[in-house]
Amino acid sequence: MGAIPFRRTDQPLSQPSLWSLSKKLLRAAYRSYIFRVTVQGILTLWVVTTCTFYMIRKMPNNPIEVKIDEFQTKQNLTYEEAKAKVAGLFDYDPDAPFIEQYTDYMGNLLQGDLGRSITTGRTPVSQQIAKYLPWTLFAVGLGLLISFVIGMIAGAAMAYWRGTVFDNVMTAFASISYGIPDFVIAFMILLIGGIQLELFQVGDYIGSVDPEIKAGLNPEYIRSLLQHVLLPVTTYVLASVGGWMLTMKSSTISTLGEDYITVAHARGLSQRRILFGYVGRNAMLPLMTRLAISVGFVLSGSIIIEYIFIYPGLGKYLFEMTGKRDYTTIQGIFLVTSAAVVISNILADLLYGVLDPRVRVGGK
Amino acid sequence: MGFLIAVATIPGLIIGILCGLVPLGIGLRYQQLKWGIVGLALCALAGFSFSLIGGFIMLVFTTAVVISYAFVDHEDPFTSRASIEAVNFEESQLEFLMRQMAALGRTIRQSVRALIRNKAGFLGFIGILFFVGISVFGPLFIEYDGDTHVERLQPGARTLFQKPSSEFILGLDWKGRDIFSHMVHGGQNLIITSIEAGLIATLIAVVVGALAAMIGGVVDQVLSAIANFILTIPQFPLLLVLASILSFSNHFYLALLFAGLSWPALMRAVRAQVLSLRERDYVQAAVALDLGLPHIIIREVLPNLMSYIVVNMIFSIRSAMYYIVGLVFLGLVPLEEPDWGVMIYVGRQQGAIFNSDGASMILSPVIAIALFQLSLILFTRSLEEVFNPRLRSGL
Repeated sequence: MGAIPFRRTDQPLSQPSLWSLSKKLLRAAYRSYIFRVTVQGILTLWVVTTCTFYMIRKMPNNPIEVKIDEFQTKQNLTYEEAKAKVAGLFDYDPDAPFIEQYTDYMGNLLQGDLGRSITTGRTPVSQQIAKYLPWTLFAVGLGLLISFVIGMIAGAAMAYWRGTVFDNVMTAFASISYGIPDFVIAFMILLIGGIQLELFQVGDYIGSVDPEIKAGLNPEYIRSLLQHVLLPVTTYVLASVGGWMLTMKSSTISTLGEDYITVAHARGLSQRRILFGYVGRNAMLPLMTRLAISVGFVLSGSIIIEYIFIYPGLGKYLFEMTGKRDYTTIQGIFLVTSAAVVISNILADLLYGVLDPRVRVGGK
Repeated sequence: MGFLIAVATIPGLIIGILCGLVPLGIGLRYQQLKWGIVGLALCALAGFSFSLIGGFIMLVFTTAVVISYAFVDHEDPFTSRASIEAVNFEESQLEFLMRQMAALGRTIRQSVRALIRNKAGFLGFIGILFFVGISVFGPLFIEYDGDTHVERLQPGARTLFQKPSSEFILGLDWKGRDIFSHMVHGGQNLIITSIEAGLIATLIAVVVGALAAMIGGVVDQVLSAIANFILTIPQFPLLLVLASILSFSNHFYLALLFAGLSWPALMRAVRAQVLSLRERDYVQAAVALDLGLPHIIIREVLPNLMSYIVVNMIFSIRSAMYYIVGLVFLGLVPLEEPDWGVMIYVGRQQGAIFNSDGASMILSPVIAIALFQLSLILFTRSLEEVFNPRLRSGL
């Protein structure tokens, strides 16, 4: 905006007062897109943390009760015996007032400390998340990448050869892939491929890695890693590739109808240049935003798929910890996954501005 | 209990037949006996399966269709091309009602034609009818097999699981029970809960989205902030935690919970659509003509949103089914047999995955769910054509 700044004459120009300077700064900061979005993001995360903090403690049973229950059924102890045994294990006091727990937690959080896990020997939550996160990131990230690339290429090809047999077959495949839930595909792979047709030994493909192979950068370890990630990744790809294909197809078709494509043809540009430089780039724009948003949801992964394939990712871990009522760990996972969503949403907005010069977010 | 009832009952059949008398009577009165009888049959069927709700909706629809056949050449004074002196603007309440019903009937006939013409969509429609039909009418013919049958143990087998055979077409589960009977009886709860969840979620989304766009200002900002906030939290983990807080004695609460978490995405879209529709010329024209808010919303804005809303409602039903089965599969919802989700859960617990005889216990519900969801997706193609006439000319 080209508003003329109002300047009071009794103030010397060279020395603006601190007040007006800070006001100017504040106004500039408020105008700045990144600053505004960051403040919004932090506010959102604070509300998420508070809400989940309250909700999680509203769940029936607390970690101590769950453990007592477990001891009672597993070791045939009476309630008192089990209670005495559990008391030494955890340093969680279920009778502490809610507000006190909350302020303690928030105080630690402000110092970047996610607290210590209640049920797993007081290990820091951040350490636990760091242990399980890479697995999910690897499996879901790989699945997302593969399905995105395949979807992009296949979708563009479907749009280019639309109406042909190729298009019809691929559209049918994409609709099926899009329509079927992922756990159905997981069960089909396990039951039909593994058990009925005996194409592979199920035991070799579920879980994390072969425990006998030493972790490290040796070929056997990498092979085992890839082997165990194969089924979850195949499931993710089969379940999500259809959506990408259909979106890319419709996006490409609408791009092909644009005037500038006709003009490009009229100018006699090469087919290749039109396809890659004009159609491809523009058709991909809306999908890039969606990709960025999907990246945010990578962390929460898929609890069900990880559970079916006994894959040691964050989702399965969250499910287990929910069962044990490990408050701090659940809290930490929620915070990290929500933060990922918030950050990826901001990135999606910024990315769009970078990729599409026509839409620059936040002015200049 | 939820608000949808889908059990074949005798009182329902009687309600249906009573409802069917209306189109039959009107058909007789206007020499449209054929359509009157079709109306009676459809009403009886709808009443039989969905009791009062189904019977009444079908009553309105079939009556409208019968009237639309009877009033083919009825002149609508407002769209008549005759000169202004020749048109009679005086019409009684009854005539007005008849005209409206005939218009509705024509719309329904066009919709049915559009529905049938799109082959993929029609396939989906048949698929949905198939599963709903089996869930509603199946229990009349196939008895629920709920007891353990040790006597069915095959010589040499270690478990009661059995592969599909001519006697039990889908095999036996871990207690030696007929899986086919579980399939017939177990879909009802799941399908109804999903549909309820999808309906409620769509309703909240449309109402909140339209309100936010219409009122604007602080209300808009607050509602949008709530929607954005819910969208930030990963849905399934949140559902996981909430499901353990509220132990569900009733599937309807599950539908409500799902609806409470899943409205924001559609709400944002509806809000954006209403905001853009508000600026269109024809809406502005309606405002300038002072046609009143109800007219503007119902006749100008809503028809343009309808295809979008209905398609998203189907998607909502679909994801509700996904989440519900997921929760049951993880063992977080109290288990009530018979239910497709419970079959997957119990089957996994009882080792049906690694027992080649028991695969049917997991595969049957899994395939049924997959086919049902596929039918829903295919059906949306027809719905798009039904509610968006602009698409019809294309094919």
